[in-house]
Amino acid sequence: MVKTGLGATMVRAGRRLLSSLPALFGVLVFTFLLMRVLPGDPAVFFASGPNAGKEEIELIRKQMGLDKSVPEQLVFYLSDIGRGNLGRSMMTGQPVLKDLRERLPASLELTFTALLIALVAAVPLGVVAALRPGSAVDHGVRLFCALGVCVPTFVSGLLLIYVFYYLLGLAPDPTGRIDVFASVPPQRTGFLLIDFLLAGDFEGWWAACKQLILPAVSMALFVIAPLARITRASMLVSLGSDFVRTARSVGLSWHKVVVTYALRNAILPVITIAGIVFSTMLGANVLVEKVFSWPGVASYALDALLSSDYAPVQGFVLLMASLFVVVNLVVDICYGIADPRVSIG
Amino acid sequence: MRFVSFRPAASVLATTALLLIAAAPSQAQTRAETLRYVTGSSVNTLDPNIPGSTRESFALSMSTYDRLVAFGRKQLNGKWVFDLDTITGELAESYDVSPDGLKLTFRLRKDAKFQDGSPVTAEDVKWSLDRCVTAPILGKAQLLTGSLTSADQFKVIDPLTIEVTLPKPDKLALPNLATVYPLIINSKVAKEHATADDPWATAWLKEHTAGSGAYIVETFKPGEQVILKRDESWNRATANKPAFFKRVIVQSVPEPATRANLVERGDADLVVDLQASDVQSLEAKGKLKVVSTPQYNAITFVSMNNQMPPFDNANVRRAIAYALPYDDMFKAALFGRGSPLFGATWADGKPANGIYPFQQPVKLDLDKAREYLKAAGLPEGFSTTFSFNVGQSSTAEPMAALVKESLGKIGIKVDIQKLPDAQMSTQINEKKLPFYTEGIVAWLPSTDYFYRNFYTGNQRWNYSSINNPDLAAIAQEARFEPDKAKYEEAGRKLNAMHVDLMPQIMLWQPNQDAVMAPSVEGYTYEFHRQVDYRDVSRK
Repeated sequence: MVKTGLGATMVRAGRRLLSSLPALFGVLVFTFLLMRVLPGDPAVFFASGPNAGKEEIELIRKQMGLDKSVPEQLVFYLSDIGRGNLGRSMMTGQPVLKDLRERLPASLELTFTALLIALVAAVPLGVVAALRPGSAVDHGVRLFCALGVCVPTFVSGLLLIYVFYYLLGLAPDPTGRIDVFASVPPQRTGFLLIDFLLAGDFEGWWAACKQLILPAVSMALFVIAPLARITRASMLVSLGSDFVRTARSVGLSWHKVVVTYALRNAILPVITIAGIVFSTMLGANVLVEKVFSWPGVASYALDALLSSDYAPVQGFVLLMASLFVVVNLVVDICYGIADPRVSIG
Repeated sequence: MRFVSFRPAASVLATTALLLIAAAPSQAQTRAETLRYVTGSSVNTLDPNIPGSTRESFALSMSTYDRLVAFGRKQLNGKWVFDLDTITGELAESYDVSPDGLKLTFRLRKDAKFQDGSPVTAEDVKWSLDRCVTAPILGKAQLLTGSLTSADQFKVIDPLTIEVTLPKPDKLALPNLATVYPLIINSKVAKEHATADDPWATAWLKEHTAGSGAYIVETFKPGEQVILKRDESWNRATANKPAFFKRVIVQSVPEPATRANLVERGDADLVVDLQASDVQSLEAKGKLKVVSTPQYNAITFVSMNNQMPPFDNANVRRAIAYALPYDDMFKAALFGRGSPLFGATWADGKPANGIYPFQQPVKLDLDKAREYLKAAGLPEGFSTTFSFNVGQSSTAEPMAALVKESLGKIGIKVDIQKLPDAQMSTQINEKKLPFYTEGIVAWLPSTDYFYRNFYTGNQRWNYSSINNPDLAAIAQEARFEPDKAKYEEAGRKLNAMHVDLMPQIMLWQPNQDAVMAPSVEGYTYEFHRQVDYRDVSRK
């Protein structure tokens, strides 16, 4: 607590990262065991050609390493993980690491955009509602939030497609990140919006952006509610506090009172919720990914789970757990920026 | 692949040149020359022989590889379907079957070339067929059904002639060579990528193609899309021409409603796996072409485990057969889109012919069902579970509700159980489900094939777990029966036994509903139940 500055923050962040390793290990072993306890034999499922018999089932079992005992499998699995090998997916026939590396940017791009849209919409809504509690505006915001939460994302997604693609023809066809006839920019980051900018292809950037808008909006609609509600609640507390009263009494401008003093103090819980929302969105946007044929990690994991394809599910859970650790860390660092009194430790 | 070279500079140059050549015409191609086909499935391997490969991978391989022979096509009620009885040459210019039926001789086309430009030789054919019966791949079990089991059966006579020897005159040997698995691979290229552990280059061929097919794989993103480019030198279509479309995009779109939107808006050209309700409404709007073909090599069943009480009692199975509300189920599950396999009247109580599947003489008759239950010693009924898998819930869910309601009327209490796909197939394989619905498909649908594969042995596809030595013996004997009349007689016997024993109840053959832009022509229902991209063209 004595040392301050960026270096110290980094050291503390590193230490926290280390301390989360046992939890990650636990997640690893737990998922591994859980997958094997679940009923459903992947070998039988994948041996589904019209003539696949016992021999094929045995073959696949051997290929997936399922012919060994569970403890043996676990040892092999852990040593593979140690060498950075997450196994091979039966479903896509590719190494899981490659699949995840290709699909994670798609999910992240979608989630970041959705979160951005949600924050940009939710924070002002929450602030406006808090400034006039009980007014028509407040009720309007409440109604909007309630609607957003109670319409499942795939329903809003299908509705948006119906209106903007099917009826109006404004949106491009909802099949993935980029039009099938368009060319893909050279892959640098995997984020299409960034890759197009780096390649200097603005037409492509706009095309990718158009593909992104509908799925991002349908995801954002669902998370605006918690963000707006939490902004409203903490703004109310903040606006009623002594320092705001003082600020008002000394005649500071409206902008200075509301944005600089009230909002900055009210934003901490919003950041926490945004962090949680982000992590859940990454995993829970499976319906949006399905509806928009978005090649993301969540739909990948769901397909794998339905077909009992062990390696991708395990890889996905590990990825999510790691992301959760990172997101929490980022949230903590953001705390420090929003309120210098808070330090991670 | 021709450019594999030890001089990196040269190969880079060559590859760049190749890319430039490839890029130039693809820009000039118009939308009309491109087929955009959307599907709920996805391609997961370029070699359909890899265990776990999907149906879409099967279809893709039909266009990227050639086989020795191919099925012809015929019109069935005005729709094109594959024809099991007409086998035409693909890589083979002609073929002969010896009078005793033990020798098949294939003469290869002189002009056939692999996609890298090298000629297709009998050596390549032998290597590919050897691979199919030797390597641990899916082709092995398939070719077994045509008495093709060992590499010794394939003999190179000269560079353009290959001879296949059979231990018995097996009718299914030739059709087997037209199925998905025995594709002909460029053995020189494949051998370069073989390793000591993997002498048949299965790992490499999973991600690459080395064939002589109509289309060249341009990009392959497993689980997302495959883009194919026409091989201009391929001339195995009708009138010795290449395939029609210059480019084919096979794109996975998991959501059926989105697929329906895409094809309705004209952004996609062809789709075969829409929900029955969407097909119904698209057909009513009349803007698109809908080709509905009963999948005559597929059957949907209600199966009962014949080894498990109370279904081990034939009278219980008969009772169920008379207690199912067939018409309502057919409407609720499929909107009537298919061929019913119930409600026939057998004039003299005997089957009309020896063809399987057939329309069974059963209909909803609760009084008769109660009688059978009484005869089984269960007049009060019993409790059981009815299972189906999640993947089929759009058709099976409404059906299950109707089964439950109807059986409730004769005292049978049914619990509906919805299982994840992998769990369902595991339980079927372990013979743990008492009562459930499932479907089957046969690539080479002949009566004896159905009975041998789906009604005998302690194996997964024997859904009803029936173990009847007489039935098994008749089916086995029919396999090698050269006399058509005797074969027909065996078929009649088997069908009569089916109705008497009622091991499981055939419900219907669902339609394959292909929905396409009005300009798309030539769609043919294929044995693998997906689209053969070489069949279709645009007006």
